[in-house]
Amino acid sequence: MKNFSIATRQKNNVTILDISGELDAHTASQLENALKSLIDDESYSIIVNCSSLDYIASAGLGVFMAYIEDVRSLGGDIKLTNMNDRVYNVFDLLGFPTLYDILEDEKEALTSFEN
Amino acid sequence: MNTKSTPSNTEERQSRFELRTLLETSRMLIESQEPDFVLNNLLLITMGKLLVPKGMILINKDSDYFYLVSKIKGRSSLSEDDTIQLNFPEAALEHAVLQGTDHPEITKKLGLPDESILFNLRTTNHHLGFLCLGPKGTGKSLTDSELEFIESLTIISSVAIANSRMFQELRLINRKLDRKVHDLHTLLELSKDFNLMVDQEEIARTFKFAMLGQMLIRTFFFVLDIEDEKSIVASSGLKEKPSNKELNTLFELEDVFYCEEKHDCPFLEKNDIRLVIALYFQNEKIGVVGVGSPANNESYGKEQVDFLQSLGNLALLTIQKTLLLEEQVEKKRMEEELNLAKTIQQGLFPSPIPKIKGFDLKATNISSRQVGGDYFDILETQDGGSILAIADVTGKGVPASLLMANLQSMLHALAPIGITLAEATRSINNIIYENTPPDKFITFFWGKISADGKKFDYVNAGHNNPLLFREGIKKPIELDKGGVILGAIPSITPYDSASIEFQPGDVLVLYTDGVTEAMNPQKTEEYEEERLIACLENNLEKPSQDIMDAVIEDITDFSDGVQYDDITLMVLKVN
Repeated sequence: MKNFSIATRQKNNVTILDISGELDAHTASQLENALKSLIDDESYSIIVNCSSLDYIASAGLGVFMAYIEDVRSLGGDIKLTNMNDRVYNVFDLLGFPTLYDILEDEKEALTSFEN
Repeated sequence: MNTKSTPSNTEERQSRFELRTLLETSRMLIESQEPDFVLNNLLLITMGKLLVPKGMILINKDSDYFYLVSKIKGRSSLSEDDTIQLNFPEAALEHAVLQGTDHPEITKKLGLPDESILFNLRTTNHHLGFLCLGPKGTGKSLTDSELEFIESLTIISSVAIANSRMFQELRLINRKLDRKVHDLHTLLELSKDFNLMVDQEEIARTFKFAMLGQMLIRTFFFVLDIEDEKSIVASSGLKEKPSNKELNTLFELEDVFYCEEKHDCPFLEKNDIRLVIALYFQNEKIGVVGVGSPANNESYGKEQVDFLQSLGNLALLTIQKTLLLEEQVEKKRMEEELNLAKTIQQGLFPSPIPKIKGFDLKATNISSRQVGGDYFDILETQDGGSILAIADVTGKGVPASLLMANLQSMLHALAPIGITLAEATRSINNIIYENTPPDKFITFFWGKISADGKKFDYVNAGHNNPLLFREGIKKPIELDKGGVILGAIPSITPYDSASIEFQPGDVLVLYTDGVTEAMNPQKTEEYEEERLIACLENNLEKPSQDIMDAVIEDITDFSDGVQYDDITLMVLKVN
């Protein structure tokens, strides 16, 4: 099995997903399931902390695309934080920064959820 | 120390100052990669140096007479980012410096006094725009050295602007290249990923997510046509599913179809689909992919279409591969099942064929490839008699052979106890009726040779009538007494039975419909009872084995060796 894992934390009313390892075609469904179950549980304020994410492929980005509108239409958001340069480069190349809140660190994201 | 400044001294100092400014400015401008910074500094430096309260920079908009107000300082009716049309005479653009007084219409349009001066910003090949300066606050006109100084600055600035433009263009090209490399990387990676996948759904889902991520889209659908059955195998963000009619329409669109073109598919409009692309496998259109608009609102160009087609074809190919694989596995499974059925069936036949004193008995079964439901058996009873049984179960393969096995165990259980064939048949019918689905029947015939070998009692439950050939009788006697086939209805009326006295030379032939229903190669005619009787009559003198062989050979000739059903044959000759 590929090395990819998701851990869930709760801070105030925000759910934080710590994703680590390689997010690609084989592991994308894990992230999909995690997002789906958050939506089912009505947790719409989501931070995805990417500090331990080593690699992301298009399929991984696709999962974010598939759920952003659902979450926003329910009054929430998905914010991405703590990306390493290589991972950020992929997000940037495909134009994600125009769509997603991509922030330096988790604190910043938590503050922006408060406002 | 000389404190008194002579005119020449002042001039020298002035020119040294100008030189230093020029040097510093040029370094700053050339090192900058932002045209905006360059332009702003050019304007501020010149205005400050010459004490001009009004100035602006115009940038040519690539079309001949339109200029963008890029920077403007001092009171004016114009503001930054305005576009104005200025009809400079062609020849004027050849000059480095234009006097406002020579072009009063233009200075008027710019809201500048006639005494303004326009410095041409240009490189060797390109006219970039103008640095426009109003008159000095002091009202004095510009000196030659001042003009020269500004001209030098504009030349340096023009080069800097051209450079930074080129730099930005390169950056853009570089980014495009990066993107292209990423696209290729994605294709390569997915082709590797797909190779490891055997599940059609997983492939379709991966394809979907890769599309969403790579093209920055929300709405997506992927339709496949598998064995004339069109259906959506993956989708995202659809507000409404297409009807069957719409699915068919999707397959009739152009291979690369931009949805602003005319079409007859409301589904595309309702879901805001922008682009539909056809996917081919071995020259057959079997897939259609549709995508909504990208989140960055860019339109789909050739590069995106190329990528979509490449990735789509990759997914299609992989799905085709899994279908072939599934087919292979299914075929293998069928093969194994047939082997199992054959093993069960062969295990039910008596082997070797028991000998009965005073008779010459031979029996055979040739099972077809699919394994029909034929069964025969020969059992001894407690009173020293013998039972001959033949049956044909509906269906083929393992289900038929299991029912056959059921029948066999019932026969073996009932044969030893002293009940009549008719009663036993009644019990068997009830058990089969209650324990099998309504579409399972058995045609069944059995008969008992008495211990002394003189009498033959039988019951025929819907089986092909066995034929008894007797010397002196022209037509064979058909053994047809009995009742309905087993398993169709519960036993309401009892089964009939009949009895025959054997005579020496009698030949009794039991067979299944695989014999009489053997087909000729044209599949227009069956072998039928008539041919069977004719063949038997010609061979009655021979031993049972030879009679049997003759019939089998005749059937094989008739059908050219092609067999669709089991063939079972039992020949009993009274010595």
